[in-house]
Amino acid sequence: MDAKASLGSIQKAVWNGKLPLHITLAASESRTFDQTDPYLISYSRISYLPSLLPRLRDFFASSLINPTSGPHEGWFSFEGVPLKWHYPIGLLYDLYAGADPASKGGTDTDLLSAADEDPLPWRLTVHFSDWPDEELVRLDAEGMVMHDAFINSVKEADFLRNGTAKGIMTLSKEDSAGLWRAVRDVDLPSFQRISNILLPPPNQPFRNVPIRFFLPLPPDSDSPSLKVVQSPIPPVIQPSSAVAASTMNVAASQSVMAAARGAPQTQTVGSALHALLPNLFPSRRTPVLAKPVLHGAAVPMGAPVEELVRCSAYGDGWVYVVVRMMG
Amino acid sequence: MASSTCAQQPALANFPLLTNKEFNSACREFLDRVRLVDESTSKQLTVRLTQRTTGPILSIIRRIAHPGIPTCDGLSLEDEPNPRRQLEAYEDDPEALIRTTEPSIGLHVVYDVVLSPTYQTPVLYFGLRRYGHPEPLGIDAIYQYLVPSQYRKELRSVGVMGGISLGYHPDSGTPAFFVHPCNTADAMRQLAGHRHVTPETYLIIWLGLVGNRLGLQLPREIFATDGMRGILRC
Repeated sequence: MDAKASLGSIQKAVWNGKLPLHITLAASESRTFDQTDPYLISYSRISYLPSLLPRLRDFFASSLINPTSGPHEGWFSFEGVPLKWHYPIGLLYDLYAGADPASKGGTDTDLLSAADEDPLPWRLTVHFSDWPDEELVRLDAEGMVMHDAFINSVKEADFLRNGTAKGIMTLSKEDSAGLWRAVRDVDLPSFQRISNILLPPPNQPFRNVPIRFFLPLPPDSDSPSLKVVQSPIPPVIQPSSAVAASTMNVAASQSVMAAARGAPQTQTVGSALHALLPNLFPSRRTPVLAKPVLHGAAVPMGAPVEELVRCSAYGDGWVYVVVRMMG
Repeated sequence: MASSTCAQQPALANFPLLTNKEFNSACREFLDRVRLVDESTSKQLTVRLTQRTTGPILSIIRRIAHPGIPTCDGLSLEDEPNPRRQLEAYEDDPEALIRTTEPSIGLHVVYDVVLSPTYQTPVLYFGLRRYGHPEPLGIDAIYQYLVPSQYRKELRSVGVMGGISLGYHPDSGTPAFFVHPCNTADAMRQLAGHRHVTPETYLIIWLGLVGNRLGLQLPREIFATDGMRGILRC
């Protein structure tokens, strides 16, 4: 199997990834309190929660105490935590559900099993009133807010890959809207056509790799904020360059330097994590204290970051890796 | 304020991009500058610098005692400094002092300047609230009370929803308006590319570029000291 076919097949698997969801109406909004039938659906991991709102609003219409609220007034929570709708569903699951990631040898047994019960189907609650303004940006009836958030994220990924935002700025209006539509409708062929306009060709390396790492919050944390780590990460570590030294602490940049002695080296998930989070990732090759999780699977530490983005980015061009502590 | 004269500061390493270190020193110098004139400006502005794990946050809180039509009367690098004008307008009007204590009329804006890890330029996050009301006002109020009329059309016409987006504050994680920074680097290059740009001049020019469009007007006396008077000649 050549490398290109393999990247394509991974991308296809990512786009085919689904999560079984079990969605109940908030008891306080239901005429039958907690006796409302749940809505069950197998839904794409790369999709966004608001896409479900029109059908949920229809399904729960007869149960709603306040029947005047529209679909765009809907929001979701998991175990009382409002879910940020601008993150793909798969990322939210990896962040919050506490499920063990899949790995080559089957389910990891060395990981702390936080969930005593089976995390699937993922049990969510939908609300159509009492929008949590302190935690979630409101949606609008036309879907502009959602579209805007998506395009802003696409722009950021584009800027990191090229060093300019010219790609997305010069994309035609139809293609820009088409990109959002393709992700919303989980239409991989349309997505590939437009994203190939944006992505540098395979022989032209990215300037930096659009990747964000989400850290676990301490259990007693009352902050609604997720801890996200982002720093310019080039796909190749040059021997003499202080890679992103200005944005890292001294120890981190020194370790990048040490790794880069000699010939240029491919930046892997392990080398990036070791440079950014040396305490959690003391080794570049082996997960010791924590594991990187993407699309519900443990990512090999040796995976080159640029290849990872090319085959398994979310629809906005970003790879969102959840750092999961090992037991 | 010898530390803020242009001659003694190194130019930026990657202009028009800003590193964490340069952003941090720009914020510190700006804070020092504001402290020198703090007593007379504290009625309108409170400036503070906090260090978070995501980087430094320069917060500027502006109180608007009588919200009206905003004008572009604040920081303007081309104009001669006229430090007393803005403050006197408030001090000479006895009614203004009464109104500032009237909770239903006044507004306050919190501007947070942070460094974008993607664009490596400053980003302006902001929220507008009425005195005594915790919930933030919406986009229409932003345009009505903060955006000077000459910038409204320009700001509304770009992007999916205009130049002002709603997103999440990088530190608090709560919803906040922000000015999308994807064109900031190009604009800074055009405005200041030929000058010797130090971290502080970068921040000041950026505040003039982005802040002015969002009603972040800094009293001119802040710039009436030493090197900043000659900012454009450095």
